[in-house]
This record gives sequence, C-alpha cells and structure tokens, in this order.
Amino acid sequence: MSTTHSTQTQPILSAGIRSFTYFGDDASVLEGIDLNLVPGTFTAILGASGSGKSTLGRLLSGWLPPRTGGTLRGFLELAGTRLDFGGDREPRINPAEWGRQVGFVPQDPAAVLTTVRATVAEELAFGLENAAMERPAMKAAVERTAALLGLMELLERNPASLSGGQLRRLAIGCAIIAGPRVLIMDEPFASLDSAGTAGLARLLQDLLKLGTAVVVLSQVVDTPLLDAGTWVVLENGGVTGNGTPAELQAGSGLLPPGIRASGGEPAPAGDHPGAVHADTLLPRSGAGVPALELRGVSFGYSAGGKEAQPRNMRRRDLGGKAAGSGLVLQGINVRIQSGEILAVTGPNGAGKSTLLRHLNGLLRPTEGSVLVHGRDIAGVPPGEAARSVGLLFQQPRDQLFERTALREVRFGLDRLFHPDEAPSRAMEALSAVGLAEAAHTHPAELPASGQRLLALATVLARKPSVLALDEPTVALDGGGLALLDAAVRSAAGEGAAVVLVSHDLDYARAAAHRVVMLDGGRLDG
Amino acid sequence: MRLHPLTSLAAAGSTAAITTAAASLPLSLAVMGAAVVLSARGGTARRLLPAAAAVLLPLGLSLLVMHGLFFPEGRTVLAQWGVARVTAEGLVFALERTAQLGAVVLALLAFSFSVSVPDLVAVLSSRGVHGRFAFVLASTLTLLPAITSRVERIRQAQESRGLVVRRGLHRAAAFRLQAVPLVLSLIEDAGTRTAALEARGFSNPGPRTSYRDVPDPILQRVLRAVLLGAAAAAVAARLLLTPAGS
Amino acid sequence: MSPSLTLPAPAPAAARKRRLLEILGAAAIAATYIYLVLNQPADITGGPGSASALIALSGFLVGAILLIVAVLPALPASTVVLIPVALVLNIVLGQFVGSTLVPFYLDAIGTVLIAVLAGPAAGAATGALSSIVWSFFNPTVLPFAAGAALIGCLAGLAARHGMFRRFYLAPVAGFVTGIIGGVVSAPVAAFVFGGTSGVATGAIVSAFRSMGDTLLAAITKQALISDPMDKAIVFTVVAVLAYALPRRARLQYPFVRRHRVLAGTSPEQGS
Repeated sequence: MSTTHSTQTQPILSAGIRSFTYFGDDASVLEGIDLNLVPGTFTAILGASGSGKSTLGRLLSGWLPPRTGGTLRGFLELAGTRLDFGGDREPRINPAEWGRQVGFVPQDPAAVLTTVRATVAEELAFGLENAAMERPAMKAAVERTAALLGLMELLERNPASLSGGQLRRLAIGCAIIAGPRVLIMDEPFASLDSAGTAGLARLLQDLLKLGTAVVVLSQVVDTPLLDAGTWVVLENGGVTGNGTPAELQAGSGLLPPGIRASGGEPAPAGDHPGAVHADTLLPRSGAGVPALELRGVSFGYSAGGKEAQPRNMRRRDLGGKAAGSGLVLQGINVRIQSGEILAVTGPNGAGKSTLLRHLNGLLRPTEGSVLVHGRDIAGVPPGEAARSVGLLFQQPRDQLFERTALREVRFGLDRLFHPDEAPSRAMEALSAVGLAEAAHTHPAELPASGQRLLALATVLARKPSVLALDEPTVALDGGGLALLDAAVRSAAGEGAAVVLVSHDLDYARAAAHRVVMLDGGRLDG
Repeated sequence: MRLHPLTSLAAAGSTAAITTAAASLPLSLAVMGAAVVLSARGGTARRLLPAAAAVLLPLGLSLLVMHGLFFPEGRTVLAQWGVARVTAEGLVFALERTAQLGAVVLALLAFSFSVSVPDLVAVLSSRGVHGRFAFVLASTLTLLPAITSRVERIRQAQESRGLVVRRGLHRAAAFRLQAVPLVLSLIEDAGTRTAALEARGFSNPGPRTSYRDVPDPILQRVLRAVLLGAAAAAVAARLLLTPAGS
Repeated sequence: MSPSLTLPAPAPAAARKRRLLEILGAAAIAATYIYLVLNQPADITGGPGSASALIALSGFLVGAILLIVAVLPALPASTVVLIPVALVLNIVLGQFVGSTLVPFYLDAIGTVLIAVLAGPAAGAATGALSSIVWSFFNPTVLPFAAGAALIGCLAGLAARHGMFRRFYLAPVAGFVTGIIGGVVSAPVAAFVFGGTSGVATGAIVSAFRSMGDTLLAAITKQALISDPMDKAIVFTVVAVLAYALPRRARLQYPFVRRHRVLAGTSPEQGS
C-alpha cells in the first residue's frame, strides 16, 4: 500500500448529497452520500451495476450538472467554493471551470472524443485551445501528457483508428492534460487484460505522487484497488460501507454480493460466482456428432478471407492480426460436445472475437470449415445459422430495439414456437436471468449488467443448441455473473454446447469444463 | 504553394457565382474542364468524378427528359410522338442548364475533395463565431463513415440473435429493427460527448488558440479579396443589366 | 477562481440581437419568395435565366445563413452536439432514397428529430446546416437551405403544440408542413435548376409540362404531390423513433419537458 497521508488533509472536493433524482423518475438514484476527497489519496467507490456509481461520478465531475438532468438536494464543495443545491436560487455549474479541476473518464472512452480533431495530439490539445493557451505551452503540455500515458508514438494517428486500450489512455489524457486536482474514472479496468491493468495501475501511482486525488468507480475489486486508501461501498444509491480495504475485504461481510472479486486475485474456486463443479457436470463424453466442430479453420483479412460482409468492417473491432503471416486464425481445430462448456482465453487482440464470428457465419474461414451438428454452415446465412447457434456480443445495445424487456424477448418467438407458447417462454427466459420484475422496463433504462442479461435472455428464449458468449465478465456485476453462470449451466445441462470467450483466465478456469488458449492465431491446450 | 483552405473556398465559391451570373455555355464547359484537370493534378479525380456523376447524371437525365420531350414554349419542333414534342429550344435549355449546374457542382466538389478538413476546421475555429459551424461540419464528416460501420455492427448483432434482417423480414420492420438501436446509441453517445466537450471548455465565451498551424501568407489574403470582389461584381452586373421582370 | 465555478445568468442584450437576426433571416427568405412569385420572371425558360437564379440563390442563402448565425451560438451544447448526428441521418437516408426511383426524399428525418427534441429554432438551424454541410458532397442541395430551415421550424412548432402527443396527429402535421415547404422550395427548383434533380420527380414534372403548364406551376404541382406525403412519412418515422427513446433520454431536453412534447412524459418538475 503506497498511499501516504501527506501533511495536506484538507479535502479538495467534498459532497453532501441528500438526494439526486432524474427528471421524470419517482425514486431518487442517490441518497445520503457524504464524501471527502483529499489530494494525493486513492479512493475506490465500489458498487454493483445500478447502484448509482456512474451517476455519482458524473455529478462529482460536473458532467451531470444539477438542473440539466435531474434534481440535486445537497451541496458540492470544490477547492473551497461551496455550492448549495435544492434551494430557490440554484447555482449553475460552469462545466469548463469545474473540468479544469476535476477530470472524468467515463466507461466508454470512445464517447469522449470530440470527433473534430484529426490527430491524437490535437485531440489532447482541444481543452487547452478552448482555454486560449499559447501554442508553445500547448505543445509542451501535449508532450508531457503523452509521455506520461505512453502515447508518444501515437500522437500523429487519427483517434478513430486507436484500439480500445489506446482509446482509454487517450481519454485519460484528455481528462488530465489541464492538470486537474481530482481524477474520477468509471470502470477503467473493465476489458483490459493483465498487461493493460498493470500499466494503468502504474499511471495511477504517478498521479497520486503528483498530488492528484484519484477516484475509481468499479463493480469489480480489481487488483490495483487493493492499494486504495479508502473504499466506499455503494448499494442502492446509498453508502453502506466506508473504510480501508483491509476492513472491508471479502470475508468481512461488508461487501455486497454484487461486487465481484477480481480475476487476478486468486479466490478459492468454490467462492467464485462462476465456479462449476466439474465432476458433477462433466458432459457425456465421446460418442456421437459434436455439437460444434471447427476443422482446420484459418482466416486472414489481407489474405483474401471471404468475409460475409467485406465492406465497413473495422479491423480494430475484430482483434489484431497474428504476427507475420497476416492470418488472424491459423489452423484451428476444436470439437465441442453437447453439454460441454468450453472457454477460449487469450490477451486482447489475439483474435478471440474473430473466432467467435466464425461460429455462425458472420465471417467465413479462408480455409477449413465450421460444422454445427455435423453440417457445414458454409453458405448458410448467419440469420439462419442463428437458429441453432446463439451468439452474444459485448455490446447489448446493438441488438435491443423494443420498448420493454418483455417485448424484446418475445420478438420473433412466434415464428419458432407455437404462438400460445411464446409469452410463457419469454417470461421463463426473463426469469432465468433474474429480470422478471423488470419485464416492463425500457431496455435502455436497465443498468449495464441488466442489459447484457436481457440480451442473453433473448438468445436463451430461442433454445439454441450452441451458445457463444463474447467476454461475459465485462459489464456484469457479481449478481449478474452468478445469474449468467446459472443460466449457462442450465443451458448446458439441457444439452447446449457453450463457448465462452474471455480475456480473464481465472474466470475461464472456474466457469468452464475445458479451457483453450488462443494466441497469435493458434490454439493451445 | 499550399493553398490556405479559405483561399480555395473563395476560389470555388466565386467561380460558382461567376459561372451562374454569366450563364454562358462556353464558360460553363471551360470551368467544368478546368475543375476536372485541377482535381486530376491534385490526385482527387478518382473520388471527384464518381461523386459528381452521382449528382449530375440523374439531374442531367431528368432535365433532358423533362425539357427535351416537353417544352411547351418551344417553337422549332424536331420530332413529335403524341404529346411529346422534341424541340430545339428545349434541348438547348436542358444542355445549358446542365452545363451551368455541372460547372458549379464540379467547382465546389473540387474544393471539398481537395481541402484538408482539419485545416479548414482549425481556421474556422480560430475565427470566433464559426467555431460551432466548424464543429458541426467536421463532426458530421467524422460520423458519416463511423455510422456505416455501426449499422453493420447492429446488423451482425441482430442476425446473431436470429433475426434474418436481409431477407424474410418485411423491409419497414427491418428498418425499425436497425434504426432504433442506431438512433438510441447515437443520442446516448451525443449526451456523453456533450458532457466531455463542456468539461473541456467547448462553450467557453473567450478567445481560442489553435494547436494546428495553418500558414496564411499575405498574397493569398489579397487573392481572396480579389476573388470575392470579382464574384460580387459579376453578380451585380447581371442583376443590374437584366431588366426587371424579364 | 471561486466565482467562475458557476455560470452567470444570460444577458438580455445578446438575446435581443439574436432575435433581430432571426427576423432578418426570415424576412430575407419571405421577401425572396414573394419577389419570385409576384414577378414570375418570364426568362425561366426563355433567356439565360441567371438573374432570377441569382436572386433565388442569394436571397434564400442569405436568409438561411442569418438564421444559422442567430440561432447556432445560442443553442445549448447538448443540441449542438446532436446536430451532426441529425445531419448524418439526413444525408445517409437522403442519398439512399435519392438514388432510388421513389418520388420521395426522406432527407429530413434528422432535422425533424432535432425539432421535436429541441424546438423550432434548433430545427430551423439544423435544416439550414444540413443543406450547407451536405453540399460538401452534393452542391445541388445548397439552394434548398431555406426550405429545409422552414421544415425544421414548422416541425418544432408542431411538436410544441402537441402534434406528437397523439400518434395519428404526427402524419397530419407532416402533411401540412410538406405543403408549405414544397410551395416555398418550388421556385428554387424552377429558377436555379430548371427542373428537379431526381428522375422520379422529373417524370412527374414532365407530365404536368405535357399539359402545357409553366415550369414553375409544374414544379409546384409536383412538390404538392411529393412533399406532403414525404413529410408525413418523415414525421411518422420520427414519432416512432422519439417514442422508442427511454424516458430519461427524452427528458434531458428542456424543450420536451417544458412543452410536454411527447405523451406520457410529465411536465417539468420544480423550476
């Protein structure tokens, strides 16, 4: 633990939130929160999906100025200026001045890009331009920030061409270039592999040494958070725990089950929400046609791989290329039996998502073939293959379009099952992922974890015989992950073959019968 | 010499204005030729020509059919089928109009395909009022390609869910399937982007500086003034020399 | 440092100056239209036709630009950031529909969406900006900036007066908007282009011309056939999209809260 309480203990940012309510909502999202952030200290605010973390982070950072999105009762105090809200003469926060002192990095780093700057350097400089900083000083600041974040080689690149990890560093750079005294980050470690997490942790230590008050909002106890000076536990919009990590850590009973232990921190297999007791659930081995088989599958974009839709596919969405050969996948052979759960792991950019897209024909192998129940799916359109192969991507919002969760799950079921059966099947699938009570909620108003579970329900309701999930741990809180695991296990128990793709090796080991490693386009293990 | 974005804008704009004011077929054809040659030398002809063709072919075809076949004012009848009369006046009118519009379209497209958008944005942003216009222009140009890849991602996600979007489903239903998540995510992203931009001083009232350095030599400033003056003179001459109402 | 953490109240003088610019812009557009229709320049199909083309172009363009200058600086950042999204929707759908043989345009969905979420002024600015930015790849849409601004403004007014609260009223409002918008845009097509830019719309104009109509009359009639249907479709699509938005997303727009634009959203609480 490296956080030292310096001589300076006067908080730079304090908040006393009696309540915060979004416009049009009846219930408040936050209630009874008191926070004091001292320069040079590291605070982790832990809470399950839907606990109000993101709302709190955006309120503290001026990204959700009271009066524009909802009603705040209470006060915010930044650098000695106290603003009281909820009275007759409400102050209006000046987001630009607030932003100079409090930097914020949201969950989706791509959304902070201005979209009007052509290079990483100019993107970083945007805030300085608006503050009318002279060009030489601006250049110096850009270089200093880029050096701190390891963005030096990327300064002339177009921001739209960066990978996910690089984008996150750029978003942090945009937040810290003006030298804020507080930095708030929302789920910064989600979807980073171990190398990325370690790099970000080093950066946090650097910022702490410079005297920045660092706040991380998270639903997972990632390893770097063990170094925090204070943990604040948020549950249903209120603070239920406040103390050092040692006081609150697993076993104290003070962490709600929605907060997951990190993958990096070895937990006993039984405690892991995703643990499968392999001996009790081993699939009936051997005999018969495998549910899913990949025979010598190779794939490369430049090598003239037959993409189902060659246009518009951005390579960065699909993982990196294997070194040298130009092939993303090389001679992949794998068989999965009915009832078996297989996990595919590997670092970011290993080609995991590309592999996944082969399972239902969204991408077609350059060489080799994909067989579902012994039938080659070459030439079968993905929408047809989806009858037996349910594939779930990371971004649930791409597939949700209805006004309520129930309608979402029901959509298209009439054509698969008897119309009288469809409503009960839809409700059953919603219950299986714990969303029965949210049946009439707008999908977009569910918390991130709920949206992923709803997307899962839409697939489960169709009873696919092969279920493939992309990075199931991302955006799911502890409760959500437990529900997902239960749903996956019961699908496997009913005979579905399951493929999980995850960068989180510990999760993969706990959740699957069999783990294979994808690296450099080849499969080991 | 590297052209300042405003110089090329002034050149394209005044060319368009003068061609419209002159309304002379030879001039229109000359401008069309010049625009194509310039863009070929600048290496943008490959993108310019298809874009221009996409605009001009339907337009020209529409005018040709409309005036070539039906031109009640025409006197010199060349051919006649039922109500359709091909008249010399109609053909000339269609040709003149197409050439005139072609000249304007090619001149403006030659500008938009050759200009460096980041330079243009930097120049506009550093000039006060135009900052927001520059934002709208540049952001639209950035989002356009991004949106096609997003539509693709949505389609893939929905096909994976078992919705056969390309066949089977009725077209209007398929449109709703894709449009709702697209618009929703765009609006949601815009909300986040607003907060991010505001935190970085997007609405600051004061002066701005620019990280990107776009040199603006004095010669080009003079050239711009001359071009704008010529355009204004051409327009004024046409308006004053044409008797009102005729 | 401390007082600057909050924003001052907006100054009334600036608002008055903007109001003046708005009125000037609207007046320029109206005057141009009236001049063109009253004068009915005979040279549309006769002479080189450039004087009326220049008047139509410059009058409508100046009006549109004045509107942008008046409205754009006063819009909240949340609306400014949404405008590019609207323009992309306009352009993508407009290019696509324009390339088919359908006598519609469907190039105003983004504009109308903004008008419904952020009001008539924002709608007008979006319409005008849409034509100007789109002219970056298709200069022929530039002269229609004033017409597009009018559509945005009318859509905003319709939203303000509750036409989007009932689902069946939206196409009606669109139909009426289309009539007005079509009539105002027809002189541009007639004087600047001497026709229409699409093949399908051109066929309709040809039909009227074959009956001996003047070009302006033929194009106005064509506009009265295409535009109301087109805008009725556009308004309906926007209503579908607006009601698909989650409540929290709709209510972040003060215009939607204040005027209860969409059914089922409670009026603004507190202030």
